[in-house]
Amino acid sequence: MAEPLVRMTNIKKSYGRVQALEDANFHVNEREIVGLLGDNGAGKSTLIKVLSGAVPLTSGDIFIRGKKVNLRRTSDAIAHGIETIYQDSALVTQLSIARNLFLGREPIKPPRFLNRMDQEAMNVVARDLLKQVGISKNIPPTTPIGSLSGGERQAVAIARAMHFDSDLIILDEPTNNLGVAETQGVLSFVRNARDSGHSCIFIAHNIHHVFQVVDRIVVMRRGKVVADDIDPKKTSVAEVERIITGMSDKEIRDAIIEGRPSHG
Amino acid sequence: MENRSLIQRLIARPEFGPFVLLIIEIAVFWSINHDFLSPQNISNTLAFTVELGLIALAMTLLMTSGEFDLSVGSLFGFSPVLMWTLFNSGLTSLEVGFLAALLVAALIGLVNGWFVTQLKIPSFLVTLGMLLVVRGTALFVTDGFPQRTWSAEGSWLAEVLVGDFYVGPFRIYMSLFWFIAAAIALGYVLTQSRTGNWIQAAGGNPNAARARGVNVNGVKIGLFILSSLMASLAGVISSLRTSAANPNSGTGYELEVIAMVVIGGTALTGGRGTIIGTVLGILILRVMRNGIVLIGVPGLAYNIFIGAIILGMMALHSWLERRHQAGT
Repeated sequence: MAEPLVRMTNIKKSYGRVQALEDANFHVNEREIVGLLGDNGAGKSTLIKVLSGAVPLTSGDIFIRGKKVNLRRTSDAIAHGIETIYQDSALVTQLSIARNLFLGREPIKPPRFLNRMDQEAMNVVARDLLKQVGISKNIPPTTPIGSLSGGERQAVAIARAMHFDSDLIILDEPTNNLGVAETQGVLSFVRNARDSGHSCIFIAHNIHHVFQVVDRIVVMRRGKVVADDIDPKKTSVAEVERIITGMSDKEIRDAIIEGRPSHG
Repeated sequence: MENRSLIQRLIARPEFGPFVLLIIEIAVFWSINHDFLSPQNISNTLAFTVELGLIALAMTLLMTSGEFDLSVGSLFGFSPVLMWTLFNSGLTSLEVGFLAALLVAALIGLVNGWFVTQLKIPSFLVTLGMLLVVRGTALFVTDGFPQRTWSAEGSWLAEVLVGDFYVGPFRIYMSLFWFIAAAIALGYVLTQSRTGNWIQAAGGNPNAARARGVNVNGVKIGLFILSSLMASLAGVISSLRTSAANPNSGTGYELEVIAMVVIGGTALTGGRGTIIGTVLGILILRVMRNGIVLIGVPGLAYNIFIGAIILGMMALHSWLERRHQAGT
């Protein structure tokens, strides 16, 4: 097996005396959608925050394509090609789609000292990206994010990650508060992202949404990864639910190999 | 059809409400007293309008980035006092005194910005504290007395900043051109430049902006400095024009300036700002102050009208905002 895109080994994270992550091992391969599941407080949020540079880890290592990296800030993670999309927080609602897509990396029209954004170029790219990510409606790129639906906002955030060649797109509860059609839209954006060469981590409370889109399911419980090679095509939803809640240790041992990553 | 959508788009702009209000205001005052549009009255109104306006332009950018500055009124009073004190004591020439005043203002802006961004103290508290420090310093240095200012005659600095000339019957001060230049420059920065995108993002969603690598703190500190510099410049201009440097001048300007900015359609909470709206807001309040006196309403009633305008415009903006959010 080739070196995975991202590998996290023996990750520990404690908040004071609370141990949020205890020797968590986790990896994502190239061109793979991983579903990260777990009950509230299982540690999946913390794991994602560590990976996106939002919180520093207490100990452990993170490797990207085999190279050890240090993710101290969100911008570090983005620089390493890891983009995290929270439901609302990734975009500026007052700004237009195009201005959000290019925020922080706005193209400048010559002469450079005028510091003038090339708004036409931004609009052209934005229009193209919206099509690519699969937004069917004809939404002008000058529309403010505030007037888009939840699903459309997710699409814009995913489009931005794709455009700036993020290798790994982390989606935290992307289908929360979305209607049925909107959810299907977001799921298809995620598939499009994988098909164009990106990997994704998909976190959702709704297991059915996870099953529809992911290649592999990872389950966390009490700060540890307790299953990391569940094939959604060969496993039932009920079985995964049992692993998440940890009904009985025996059942879990039957279904998984505890705490040992199968790759890397 | 095309035409109608153009009109609809015009109405949906945040500047539309203030624009209509200004037209109504002018029409009402003019119909009651025709002197309202006399060259002399227009000249007089404009002279002071642009001085407050310079502060309001900078405040627009600062408020778009999600902060505001209550210390501008005190700087308006302090900077000319500092300049004249340095000059009168023979320490510096008037020009060097002016530069020193600007430098001190920039430093004050830097301190404001540092407290807000590094110590994470709300700008309301930081700049309120700074207001008291700066105003207190101005009063202490001068013992509360105005400074001598009669020796500015013939200084090139005075000519450049407030030199006046006649265009037909209109008396125009150079400060009008500085105001127009500042409005165009800052309007450009806010709507066309990359910096403008960062300013709006810093006010709209600072965490998202930070995650994209935008230096949110740098943007805010820069705008605090700009705000202080503009207040200082406005104070010096006003002092040169009226030949007065009173340590108490500018009292209460901070609130009038913030009112001008929000009436124009800039959001108090940040993320959205408009220079055109601010220019309209400046005119609305100054025309109101002038017109009320001219039509014989007691000047003391001025604040009633200003308060009513602020409330009315806020109601209009919030209504437009909700319509906009609903996508109609």
